[in-house]
Amino acid sequence: MRSPFHSEPEAFRFLLVVILALVPIVLAAALGPTWLALVVLAVVLGGVAARAAQLRMRKLRSPDLPVKMAPPHLGSAAERRVLVVANDTLSEEALLCEVERLGLAPRMHVLLLVPAVITPAARLTGAIDSLLDQARARMQAALDRVGHDNVAGKVTGEDPLEAIEDTFATFVPDEVIVATRWEQTAGGLEPRLAGLVRERFAVPVRHLVFEPGSAAQEPDEGTEARYQREFGAAAARKFGLTALAGAGILAALVMSLVALVRTTATNTTTLAVANQAAAALPTGAPSALTKVIELKVIASGKKGPDGKLHDDFTVTEFHVTVGQPLTLRIDNTDTVPHSITSPEAGVSIIVLPGTHDYTLLVKQAGKFEWHCVFPCDPWSMAQVGYMRGFITATAA
Amino acid sequence: MSSGRSTKAREVSINPQTWRWSHPRVLVEDPDEEAGLAIASGLRFAGYAVAVCPGPRGHGQCPLTGPAGCAPAHDTDLVVCNLGYEREVAREVLRELRTRYPNTLLLVVVPPEIDADLREVLDSCHQLPAGATPEQVVAAVQGISDHAAEDGAASA
Repeated sequence: MRSPFHSEPEAFRFLLVVILALVPIVLAAALGPTWLALVVLAVVLGGVAARAAQLRMRKLRSPDLPVKMAPPHLGSAAERRVLVVANDTLSEEALLCEVERLGLAPRMHVLLLVPAVITPAARLTGAIDSLLDQARARMQAALDRVGHDNVAGKVTGEDPLEAIEDTFATFVPDEVIVATRWEQTAGGLEPRLAGLVRERFAVPVRHLVFEPGSAAQEPDEGTEARYQREFGAAAARKFGLTALAGAGILAALVMSLVALVRTTATNTTTLAVANQAAAALPTGAPSALTKVIELKVIASGKKGPDGKLHDDFTVTEFHVTVGQPLTLRIDNTDTVPHSITSPEAGVSIIVLPGTHDYTLLVKQAGKFEWHCVFPCDPWSMAQVGYMRGFITATAA
Repeated sequence: MSSGRSTKAREVSINPQTWRWSHPRVLVEDPDEEAGLAIASGLRFAGYAVAVCPGPRGHGQCPLTGPAGCAPAHDTDLVVCNLGYEREVAREVLRELRTRYPNTLLLVVVPPEIDADLREVLDSCHQLPAGATPEQVVAAVQGISDHAAEDGAASA
């Protein structure tokens, strides 16, 4: 496997960045609340992602210099093979004349490669066949017009550059001609294609531009450079937008997570404060709003009539006033959750392991049976006074 | 008034592809695109698969001098080096080629004046004088290849 690093200093810099990024996260996790560690993590990740995106965009704007390659010439030294890549420009008389002229040369083989430029939208809507048919019709019309046996045609649905690469393995051209418009049209080849072919293949590449009714023209170096620049800038813009969308989604996720953590912490604190206030009140004058009942859930904690120990809630009868919350401080000593569930009363409290505060609120008067819905002790689940009981709600 | 931004040379790196064609293979290192293509064209018609590399440009990083190495250089039979050996970075490429791929044949287009350092680097390399035409380069490559093939057959 190849190292992703170009040099030892680069690997060392990466290690240093990882350590420096971890320090604030670890410090925040150790010294601050969970949400702060999450915020620091998000900031660090955001910083790293932004730097990576910046480097990627810079690379898109100024791509690498590829090493050009080409296979050995095919056939005798006198033979020449020319690949002409065109699509929408095949209707131009000037291009057909150029192909005809090439076809007249002795020992010349010409291949007309017609990439049907298939957009992602066409792939989604299944319009590929019609695009391929259009390309075939253009190619056939061109071949009929040129009328030489040494000029062949090929239609492809591949990416134009990949199709050209494949043609280097089969047709083995000695020269490539890329025919485009000055600017890309719908269904036409990109003008930068010639530059991409020139960068990759060690054969002469000619870029000919055809516009309706005019002769073939060759873009100068400045124009070719502009095509590459504009493509780089467009690719960088597209990547930037994707990165921005990704960052937005990530930020939304982190903010949701932080909000969730903070809400849980606030609720616990509020309840604790309320309960402390209730505890401070004189006995016998409890506030209905802050009344707290403490109970436990104990696995195998209560002996049954069969002489065996069974799971139980230490309090199974609850008396509440309609519309007024009752705080239950439940210490679930079991390792699994249990519940106080009464669909008739509109109550569903999931009792997690450990000591937590829960609110019991009933909105209608009556006596309602509750039970634990988590499969635990089957006998207890059916017995009032164990994992089953009653909630009695009286009108205010 | 100064903008405060430093003017830093834009880095360019070389992104080598791997060979897709069978031997014999020749890698042509030439910063002049036209000259490199002319040599490559001649070599193709002489039956060689070719790769053309501009070599390190400006502050660009050549993978040959990094830990990853250069895939085309690794799998080539012969390297035509015409990087202009007045520059230290070009000599470094030549040193790396000799060190990493000691069995690969090197044909170096040398400047008219060779200093002691370059003479040492050029030891065991085949040499052509600067200004050699593409046809002369192709002929030299064919000569070296044929000689190497004869040596290989004799030793076998």
